This record gives sequence, C-alpha cells and structure tokens, in this order.
Amino acid sequence: MRISGFFVYMIQKILIANRGEIALRIVRACRELGIKTLAVYSEADVQSLHVQLADEAICIGGPKSSDSYLRSDRIISAAEIADVDAIHPGYGFLSENAKFAEQCESCNIKFIGPKSKSIKMMGDKSVAKDTVRKAGVPIVPGSDGPVESETEAVKVARKVGYPVIIKAVAGGGGRGMRIAHNDVSFAKEYHVARNEAEKAFGNGAVYIERYIERPRHIEFQILADSHGKVLHLGERDCSVQRRHQKLIEESPSPFLTPDLRKKMGKAAVRAAESAEYENAGTIEFLVDAKGNFFFIEMNTRIQVEHPVTEEVTGIDLIKQQIRVANGEKLDFDQGDIKFEKHAIECRINAEDPARNFAPSPGTIGLYYAPGGHGVRVDSHVYSGYTIPPYYDSMIGKLICYGSNRKTALERSYRALSEYLIRGIKTTIPLHKAIMSDPTFIEGKATTAYMEDFLGRTPTDLFS
Amino acid sequence: MDLKQIKQIIDLMKRSELTEFAVEEEGFKLKIRRGANGVPIVSSGRGSNSPFPTLAEAGTSNGSASPVSTASPLTTNAPAAAPAEEAGITYIKSPMVGTFYRSPSPESKVFVENGSKVAENTVVCIIEAMKIMNEIQAETKGVVVEALVENGQPVEYGQRLFKLKQG
Repeated sequence: MRISGFFVYMIQKILIANRGEIALRIVRACRELGIKTLAVYSEADVQSLHVQLADEAICIGGPKSSDSYLRSDRIISAAEIADVDAIHPGYGFLSENAKFAEQCESCNIKFIGPKSKSIKMMGDKSVAKDTVRKAGVPIVPGSDGPVESETEAVKVARKVGYPVIIKAVAGGGGRGMRIAHNDVSFAKEYHVARNEAEKAFGNGAVYIERYIERPRHIEFQILADSHGKVLHLGERDCSVQRRHQKLIEESPSPFLTPDLRKKMGKAAVRAAESAEYENAGTIEFLVDAKGNFFFIEMNTRIQVEHPVTEEVTGIDLIKQQIRVANGEKLDFDQGDIKFEKHAIECRINAEDPARNFAPSPGTIGLYYAPGGHGVRVDSHVYSGYTIPPYYDSMIGKLICYGSNRKTALERSYRALSEYLIRGIKTTIPLHKAIMSDPTFIEGKATTAYMEDFLGRTPTDLFS
Repeated sequence: MDLKQIKQIIDLMKRSELTEFAVEEEGFKLKIRRGANGVPIVSSGRGSNSPFPTLAEAGTSNGSASPVSTASPLTTNAPAAAPAEEAGITYIKSPMVGTFYRSPSPESKVFVENGSKVAENTVVCIIEAMKIMNEIQAETKGVVVEALVENGQPVEYGQRLFKLKQG
C-alpha cells in the first residue's frame, strides 16, 4: 500500500477498458497519481499510443469490438491475471453496461463509475424520466409509455400540447419519428408513424412527446462522491450536432442567463441525487427558445467533451473519478467551483466532408498539432499512425479557451489553421468554416444549426 | 525463459571458464558477461517485472519505455510480428486471456510433450479464465515441437502456446 499524507491509497493499478484518445487521457491521469496502468487492446490497436505508454499491456482479441473491447469476460480475466484494483471503462463500449459493472463488483474489482444499480436505473429512459420527475425535475411532457389506440394518442397530444412528436418505441438514432402540429394532421402522422415503425423495426408501438422546436442541447456535468456530496460543474452547450452526433461543445452556453443556469444546476443535482449517483455523470436537457428546460436523459459515464468543463473550472475530472472510486471525499463544495474561462471543443474526425462525411481511415503522413496559450489537444494519433477502420472516426479533440467567448472563438480559428493532418481527410476545414459563420459567432446555434449550415454553405468552403 | 533457467545459466558460468553467454528468443534477449570481479553481469530484454511489459519495452535491450523515440516509432516492437516463418511450422495460439496449464491437474501428466502427435481435436492444454478450466484443442494435425509458455503463466489473446510441425 502506498501512503500519501493521511490517506492510504487502495487503488494501485488500473485496467483501462477502452482505446484511442480516452485511453491515453486515463493513462496520463494515472501517471500523475502514481498509479500503475494496464492497457487491454485488440490486435488492430497494437500500434496505439496508450498501449505503448501504459505500464503493462494485454491483448484481448481480434480487431472487431465484439471480439475485444466488448468482451467483458476477457477484460475481467485480464484484470485478474494482472492483479488490478480497478477498471476505468472510459466512454462507449462497456461504460454504461450495468452487467459489466456488476461483474466487477462481484469480482472485487472497483468499477470507476457509479454503482451498477444507478446505471440500470438511468439506462431505461422511462424509468429515468419517472425517477427524476418525482424529484421535481421537469421532463418532456408526453404519454406514459406507448399509446394503445388512436383515441388515446389524440387525448395525449391535446393534453401535452402541439406540436407533438410521435416516436417509435423500438426506434432510435433519429429514425421512426413524425411530427404533428395540430389535430388535423395528427391522425395522418400517427398512422404513418405506426406503419413506418412496423416496417423498420418490426414493432409498430409508438409514444407521444411534446415536440420542442429548435431546442438547444445543454447538459450539466455532475460529480458526486461516495459520502453523499453531489455537485455540478456547470453546463456544456452541445447544440452543434450532425445526425445526433456532437461536433462542437462549449461552456458557458451563450444562451443561458445566470438565473436559468442556477435553476438548471439545481435541477441537475436533484436528478443525480434521485439516482443515488456516485462519480462523474452528465444530465442532458433540451432548452426551448423561451428558456423552458426539460430533462431528456442521464449519461452515467465520463463524456467525450469533459475537457471543456476541465478548462472552464480547472478541475481534473479523470483524477476526481479515480479519487471518488478510491473512497475519498470531494474536498470542495459547490461555492468553491469557479467558472473562469470560456472553452470551445472541436471534435476532429477522420471523415470527408466533401463526400457526405464518409469515413476516411488510412495512414497519417504528417501530423502537426497546434499549441500556444489556451490551446489543448487530446489525441492519440501521430505521424505514421494508421487509423484502424473498425472503430469510430474521432481521432482527436481540439479545446481552445480564453477569458471570454470572443477569445475562445478566435483562438479556435487560429489553432485549426495550424493543425496539419496529412494523408487522410478530416473535419478540420468544417470546424474552421463554422468558427467563421455569423450564426455560430453570435451564439445563436440550436440543434437545427448544422442542417441549416450545410444546406446554405457550398461544399468546397468546408472540405 | 524463467528465473530458474537464468539461475541455472549463471551457475553454469560460475562453474566454468565461460566469459560470455547470450541467447535470443522471440520478444526476449539475454546476455550474461563475467564481470571484473568474476561476478556475472546480467542484462535482459525485460524492463519490468510484470509478465506483460508494454510492447515498447519488450523489444528494447535496456528495458526503458521510450515509445516514440525513433523515426518509425512503434513498427518494430510488436511481439506479434513473427520472425521469418519456417516451412511446415505452425503455432497454436491462445483464443482467450487466462492462465496456462500443461496438465489437467497438478498431479497428472502433461497433455502433450515434445514429439507428441496431435489431431484436430486433441486437447493440448488448459487455459483457466475466471475460475473456469477451458480445454484448448490443437485444431490442426501435427507433431509438437515445443511448448512456448511455462506452466502456470498468464497468457493473452493470440499468444503462441505451442510450436507444431504440420502434418
């Protein structure tokens, strides 16, 4: 056991059950804490940077995620033979798999995240909404689960208030949704939605929700310890999305007033408390043009965009995750958290904006990342690295920050101009174009922004 | 190569007039030189004490992890990169992560020895994963040349367990 100050560190070795930039991020935090790292990797990730930097590395399978990063049996096996104390699941993969968290619990390996029962609770969208509603958190008004008949559906639509969105119970990813603006169009849209759902998912069941037009997606970062303290670390505005995938995140949100921020922060904390939450998590809200906010879901993991909050508050979220998992109390309170900077993150993807964002895997010839005051790059790639085609296309994150939004915008544009990634196509030109776009500069972007931007901007201006 | 074998080599050197001994295996290099006062100096290719040092350590002879230090930083160090394949030779690789055992129980004989003939469904070893003993089959016809892992050692996915002569 290693003793530092008055605290005895129980966690001495962590298995990183992930890959790419987040795995590298976790290795870095562990190194600074003096904790040993074990990287588990697929055969396609032999050349990955974090695999080289970790203290130990174990191959857990073939290139496909289903044969490696999703194999909880092999991951736990690796944890046992290498005698680790804890597993950090990163984001995606098994990070929100309640069963995996349970397996860790029963094998006496600390899962760096919430308890498995919180994951289960928040993983079911209906249960999640119901749980937070009871805690006084506003949710999107809608039917209680699927509607049984057209008569019931119309009743719900009128009660909820038009416009409404009719969603397939078995749907997802933006599919199986129809919008109705009044009683007249409702009947038609209802039947079309049911038919489409039946054809696409083999299940025609639908539910009704108020349709929030041109909402902003604003989420709050939660950090809770295992001693009952639940704090929020401010919001991130993630409205710039393409097909429900975030492209740009920033904090503070250019839309929130101090009063609304306070209200939403309190609601976020109440939502996390209702799930008996521990460790890091995020409460997602939709906010309409009038400032009404509605809970949509809770992400029970660390998120891709966590660096935005780190640069605004100065708090290292990964280290805090490890400390909480270690049983430590959070050594600051809500009033101690300062929001001192404005930060903007651009997700750099290996995609070709000129070919409808087709994935662009391949070998990076020259890689030169920007630097200077207020610039942070979280990336696992390097010159000569070959991007494997088996995983998502995100190859790095550029986070630029300054004392106000104007500085952060100008800095982002400057850093993007210096950023060189040769040999593959990336979304760097797209981000530059967005940083120059008046609507974004004025802070007016809602979730409808990207479609609008792509519709009015010639392709050669962003590729 | 394990500690026992290294000790045996050191003993051998002490008892003889040998001044230098070197051996190279896949992913491992060992050189022992007789020092100025007659005490052997051992330098090995394993930087850490763990059974699974990082790939950067496995290839370097001084064991320090310097992953991106050369022009093509990582291409030469992957243990999966095999030396030139010999004709007619194949390898039984581990399909899982766990602990390797050569016999069904501590008191029994090993499943296969050097020179044993195997068929596709011959059980060649056990890999224990999460308290379950998994029997591993040869999946090819051939003759065992040698076992590449010590009994009781941890193994990773894809790791070579046995060298076989096909046919």
